Amino acid sequence: MVAEARKKGTLALVLFSAPYGNQYANHVCNIADRALGMGYNVEIFLYGDAVHAHLTEQKPKNFVNIGETLARLADRGAAVYSCLICAIARGYIRDYDEGRKVYNSPITPPFVKYVTVQGFVNMIKKADRIMMFGSS
Amino acid sequence: MELTHPPFGRENTYAALFVGSASVSMGIEVTVLLAGEGIYVGLKGQNDPQGRINLPSTEKQVRDFMELGGRVVVEQQSLEDRGIAAGELIEGLEILDSSTIADLMLDKGDHIMVF
Repeated sequence: MVAEARKKGTLALVLFSAPYGNQYANHVCNIADRALGMGYNVEIFLYGDAVHAHLTEQKPKNFVNIGETLARLADRGAAVYSCLICAIARGYIRDYDEGRKVYNSPITPPFVKYVTVQGFVNMIKKADRIMMFGSS
Repeated sequence: MELTHPPFGRENTYAALFVGSASVSMGIEVTVLLAGEGIYVGLKGQNDPQGRINLPSTEKQVRDFMELGGRVVVEQQSLEDRGIAAGELIEGLEILDSSTIADLMLDKGDHIMVF
C-alpha cells in the first residue's frame, strides 16, 4: 500500500464550503474514497466554511453524514487538515494559547489536525495533484 | 490562483489573497489572475468610509501581495465586457489577453487554485 501510494503520489483535496447546502463535501469525500482505493496518498484541507464539515455530532436526516464519512476516510489513511484561523473565527477553538500552540476544542474530532495558512501552503507545495471544490 | 468573485459579499477573495501572500512570503512564485467578476478586485480607490461593509480591504491585500513580490494579472476580455478602463485599476496590475493567460497557466501553473 505504501509503495503504491508512492507511485500514485499525493492528491490534495481542498474544500471551501460547508456540508449539506451543496454537494461539494460529498464530491470531496467520494473522490477521496476512490483515490485511497487507487493507492493515492490523500490529504484533505477544510478552508473557510468547510471547517463545519468536521463538527462532531452531526445528525443529517436525509443526507450522507459528512463528519462520519471524514472519520472513515481518516481511518483508511486520509489526512484531514482544518484551517486554524477559520476554526477560531467560527468558534471551534477554545482557550487558544498562540505562543504554546495549545488549544481546546471539544467539538472537533481527534482525527482532524488544525494547521495555519503556512501549513496549507506546504500541503499544496508537496501535492502531486490538487482538486478544489466549493468556490461558488 | 484565479479569483472569479468580486471583493466583498463572499469570503473567497479575502481567503485567496490570504493564501497568496502567505505563499509569496514562503518563497513561492505566485500569480493571481483576476477574471470574470474577479476583475473588480483590481479596482483602485475602494473605500468604506462609513464602515458599512466592515470587511478587510481587498485593495490593501492586493497591494500587500504585490509588495511581497506577487504578480497580479487581469484578463483583458473581462475588463472590456464590463467597461472597465486600465486607468481604473490598481497600479502594477498586468492586463493580458486570454491566450497569453492560457499560455501562462500552462507554462507556470504547477498548482492552480480557483476561488
